[in-house]
Amino acid sequence: MAKIKKIVVERNLCIGAASCVLSADTVFELDAENKAIIKLKGGVKSADPAEKNTLEDEAVSDDTLLTAAQSCPTRAIFLYDEDGTQVYP
Amino acid sequence: MEKVKYLIVGGGVAGTTAAETIRQLDPAGSCTIISDEPYRLYSRVMLSKPNFFLEKIPFDQIWLKQEDWYAKNNITLMAGRKATTLDTAAKTVTLDDGTNIAYDKLLLATGASIRNWEVTGAEKQNVFYLHGLDDAKQIIAKVKSAKRAVIVGGGFIGFEMCDMLRLAGIEVTLILRKPHFWDPVLDQHSGALIEAALERSGVKILRNSLVKEVVGNVAAQGVILHNDIMLPCDMIIVGIGTYCPFEWIKNAGIQVNRGILANEYLATSAPDVWVAGDSAEFNDLILGEQIQLGNWANAQMQGKIAARAMCGEKTEFRLVSFYVTSGFGITIAFAGNVRPAEGGVHITRDSADGNSLSRIIIKSGKIIGATMINNTKELAVIAKLIEKSANMENDKDKLSDPLFDLKTLL
Repeated sequence: MAKIKKIVVERNLCIGAASCVLSADTVFELDAENKAIIKLKGGVKSADPAEKNTLEDEAVSDDTLLTAAQSCPTRAIFLYDEDGTQVYP
Repeated sequence: MEKVKYLIVGGGVAGTTAAETIRQLDPAGSCTIISDEPYRLYSRVMLSKPNFFLEKIPFDQIWLKQEDWYAKNNITLMAGRKATTLDTAAKTVTLDDGTNIAYDKLLLATGASIRNWEVTGAEKQNVFYLHGLDDAKQIIAKVKSAKRAVIVGGGFIGFEMCDMLRLAGIEVTLILRKPHFWDPVLDQHSGALIEAALERSGVKILRNSLVKEVVGNVAAQGVILHNDIMLPCDMIIVGIGTYCPFEWIKNAGIQVNRGILANEYLATSAPDVWVAGDSAEFNDLILGEQIQLGNWANAQMQGKIAARAMCGEKTEFRLVSFYVTSGFGITIAFAGNVRPAEGGVHITRDSADGNSLSRIIIKSGKIIGATMINNTKELAVIAKLIEKSANMENDKDKLSDPLFDLKTLL
């Protein structure tokens, strides 16, 4: 699998089932609207697309990110590689 | 007779994830999935979500695999077929059309079935259950013309269906057999928070109530309650729980209880037969007991672990699973075991404003589960505390203090 560079949570699709939190709780959490957000360095929480090297847990494995994306029951998590190619879904 | 190396009964998330994992570990071994629904893998979680029903999410978002995914991965999907007989000595499964399939390794990922509503007239049209995609399609069609709905049952399905129907502008009456919502999984206070949100949005709740009869000619036109009051309606949605239909598995001599019994590797009592997902009653090493869970993440992870074992990579299943739903501006989250058989002590973390509430369940000094209303921020840390299995006997006072930061216990 190509290396993951960017993570995007499609907010309109997210239903807050929290399976991404279960698979990768160092990367995702639910916000006050029960939607998944991404944990960035310096304690920042973001609903925007995030580059992997800006993550609080930038050492998270690609396998963990993929598992989290695959666990989403609405396929709301999109992963892109270094060429900008969509890795999942 | 056809013979396959890996036979999987059940095409849901547990079975399909297992097939995917098998393919990663054994690129060449033949693999067949038997599914009693005529569809490829779809999101059963999305089925009950208002945005899906109200067609705000495109219908095709329901599919979790492309149509050609199976062929591309050399996985055979036998959709719309039901397994009826298992012979663990001959290692064969017989389908409803008489086809016999021999296997080397078998996975039972059969899931749970919807509990039938045993009420006179329940077979009438416009009485709906929500289990599969076909049920959802029927409800989506009916919602377009319905004016008044009755929901039976206070659980996830009841909650989500109330939300969907109110958003669709339909008049809703929710009928609870118990004194409060989700009794006894939730306490009165948690139930009251949910009920208040439902009522604010216009849902009428009838507590301690039973339906005696569904009336109408061919289609339901109303229900008669235990107190003989007649409630007119043009649709009824029933969500009163699930059970595991496993007569054929039991007949094969496999040990069952409420679910199909399995050890921590998800192996059943029969050689070369594993179980994953809602139908598994497995030895949970973290909770220290046999438990059956009905949630998406659990099913997916069990599919992975069982597949590894089928490929000779025996791995212990260890996961604190949780599930969250939201609607009417509130969230409900469950983590770990929220229905301890006996001996569970509940510790309540009640916020000062009374709008959020966590209940932590302790058994033999350890946290085994929690229910959270409007408190998903505590979900990840509570799951970690469950996983840690630390003795909390001396920390009970801290746990009950909503201002105490649970992270300091990690």
